[in-house]
Amino acid sequence: MKKTIIFSLVFLFSSVLYCKIDLVTLPERDKVQLTIYNSADLTLVRESRTLTMKKGTNKLQFSWANTLIDPTSLELFPLKDADKIAVTDLYFPPRITGLGIWNIVSQISGKAPCEINYFTSGISWQAYYLATLSQDEKTMKLEGYVKVTNRSGEDYENAQVRLVVGKIHLLDEIATLARRYPPYGRPFEPKPLPPTEPGKRRDVFEAKAMLAGAEDRVIVKQIEKEGLSEYFLYTIEGTETIPDGWTKRLLSFSQDKIPVMNFYKYDESRFGKNVVRFISFKNSKSHLLGKEPLPDGLIKVYRIADKDERLSYIGQDNTKYIPIDQVVELNLGAVKDVKVEPKLMEVKTLNYQFNAPGRNISGWDEAQTWKITVSNYRNIPAKVEITRKFPHQYWTIENSGEFGDYKQLDKDTVRYTMELLPNATKTFTYKVVLRWGDRQY
Amino acid sequence: MKKFLIPVAVSILVLANFSMARTKLVALPERADTVIRLDNPFYTLVEEERVLALQKGTNQVDFSWTGVSIDPDSIRIKIISHPDEVKLISVSYPPGENACIWQIYSPSPYEEKIRISYLLKNIDRLITYKAIANKDETKINLQSFLILRNFSGEDFQLAKILLDYGETYEKSVSHEETRQMLLVTKSSVPIEKKFTFDARKLPWDPEKVMGNVGIPVTYEIKNDKNSGLGEFVLWDGKARIFQDDGKRTTIFLGEDNVSFTPVGEKCSLYVGDSRDIVVTQRKIKETKINVRKNDSNAVILYDTDEIIKVDIENFKDMPATLTLIQEIPGEWDMEETNHSYEKEDANTLKFNIQLAPKAKQTVTFHYHRRNVR
Repeated sequence: MKKTIIFSLVFLFSSVLYCKIDLVTLPERDKVQLTIYNSADLTLVRESRTLTMKKGTNKLQFSWANTLIDPTSLELFPLKDADKIAVTDLYFPPRITGLGIWNIVSQISGKAPCEINYFTSGISWQAYYLATLSQDEKTMKLEGYVKVTNRSGEDYENAQVRLVVGKIHLLDEIATLARRYPPYGRPFEPKPLPPTEPGKRRDVFEAKAMLAGAEDRVIVKQIEKEGLSEYFLYTIEGTETIPDGWTKRLLSFSQDKIPVMNFYKYDESRFGKNVVRFISFKNSKSHLLGKEPLPDGLIKVYRIADKDERLSYIGQDNTKYIPIDQVVELNLGAVKDVKVEPKLMEVKTLNYQFNAPGRNISGWDEAQTWKITVSNYRNIPAKVEITRKFPHQYWTIENSGEFGDYKQLDKDTVRYTMELLPNATKTFTYKVVLRWGDRQY
Repeated sequence: MKKFLIPVAVSILVLANFSMARTKLVALPERADTVIRLDNPFYTLVEEERVLALQKGTNQVDFSWTGVSIDPDSIRIKIISHPDEVKLISVSYPPGENACIWQIYSPSPYEEKIRISYLLKNIDRLITYKAIANKDETKINLQSFLILRNFSGEDFQLAKILLDYGETYEKSVSHEETRQMLLVTKSSVPIEKKFTFDARKLPWDPEKVMGNVGIPVTYEIKNDKNSGLGEFVLWDGKARIFQDDGKRTTIFLGEDNVSFTPVGEKCSLYVGDSRDIVVTQRKIKETKINVRKNDSNAVILYDTDEIIKVDIENFKDMPATLTLIQEIPGEWDMEETNHSYEKEDANTLKFNIQLAPKAKQTVTFHYHRRNVR
């Protein structure tokens, strides 16, 4: 009994909404392909429909009221007999919103498979990651997901879904173009946009029906990935039905035992007096990844806390886009179990210069001695990176103690990198001589 | 001798005209050949031909309009059938009316074809482009469209719509109608793909930036014969660029404005940003040298000693051409550089760098700025 209701609801639901985008002389779509972008609110929709042509001029009407379709992107072309079927023009009749008519001159009559392309806004996708560190925090399991959300006002049934990773350049927002009337604006007089059409509401019964339907099938789909121009294209196996208002999450990849580096940074110019925890790994073959760039998205990091594999939550970060072979650094926030303590131990001034005997001071040197104590209170090893910035570029430095790997980063920045054993402390000292005034020249 | 229009005839004709067209030439048959010329992006010229039944002597022809906006000074009339005999004597503008009255002299009764030209407001065109790049990004198929926007108040019955090149369309165009027409199709137009890091605009250190620093990617098209173009100016307009994905479908790469490109010139289209090329630029050295002081011991003149280091990483498995744009203000001398550059102007340097797939390169340049005050 319950199932019947669900069925009819789904049926009603799909048939009603199907009519919204329709060509008057046309049957339904044969195929739909959605190419969804994540850097802009943009989806390229490609529909195949079989038109019935007569010889001579044919008029085809396409309407898209209450959807978020950009009318300036509408395109129709024959998939067969391209030399015999010419799409001459598309016009938007006066005082009617959401309607366009194509003129098609055909030398043949009969069935003609055609493709209709357009942009819509309202469909989006995001990458989303779940990371689980092993108990010793040496390796990590990374699961990458893609989440597709449809708020376009149109239901897309059995659509081939492709997701594009990349940063495209747009002049106008598709949502703005979708709301603009007339489609290309008016000559010389910019008109304010009509108010946004309120999104339609789905009632709870329908929502339940859709959920129940979705529960029945458990299929883990493959996602095929390839690079195109500056973009990466994810093609989801088979087809997907994404009704308006719905979000779908699909597994993109899952990889266990990725070696990770635990990493702590101390940089007062970026993080204040905090030690910030990072984990880093490389998007490369040696790290069991490197098959594809990792799109930017939210990553939630957990750790296996005990033998029963209970989890402990560490933190989250929004990752940048990670090209193949680049090192990833995930910022997991400030911690207290690794400590970096810089202390100014001594200040001396010397080498004074004067404008003339008995006149003002024109230059001097200032020697600062800093002691840095680095402590790892954790029971696993830690790599610590300490960045120090000087007030200007006129300086010389002397390092002593366990300062690890020293590097000058730019004219006024230096960096020390060192590894600490569990529950270990290291101390080092640097003496920086800053030249002031005439001592700089 | 003045020829006044017969009131009955006038009223009938006025009525007939009213329903069809708001621009009316009283005492005239319908307009014949109408041309909407859109070669000027700011002004649209309408030309229409009509046949006047002229009497011998001076005829008065009334051209008036309502509901449309015509620049009265732009109205011109051309005598076509008997240009040597039929003469326009004068034009007058009645007060408070959108009208002009022509006095035309005809030596004998003629069925005279005339052409009226005028600038009509609130009708114009846009040019748009669609390009599909091949998979290697070496060529594009280019389509150009004319978008006619008629908000003039006038309905046109079968008018020829033309730009200065491309297809001519003969269409009926209603008031408040927008019409998109394919103008030109060109296939296999060569393009050059370029990456540009402009140190004046982009952040130097990607580590300090939230999110990725995208390196702008452009396609360059030359409007010349070798490209299969070069016949006409590329008008400015929005271009949407797609790419063949090798599966008989396309992906959308991005959009940009085509700038007005005369024949022989290059047009550059900003498609999107690459995040697979990472540029990290740092100033390694910047000290004052050759410092000169005045009597009060204030520094009045000095030179600088500066070193800039640019690390470039190509994470792509394809080679890439990257242009680095650097700025050095004031007067300067280059001391040493490990890569050649071109001077774009006194203060702008351009380094053209060929990046191998998956390769790293470092560009270092050492210069002195001179006589800084």
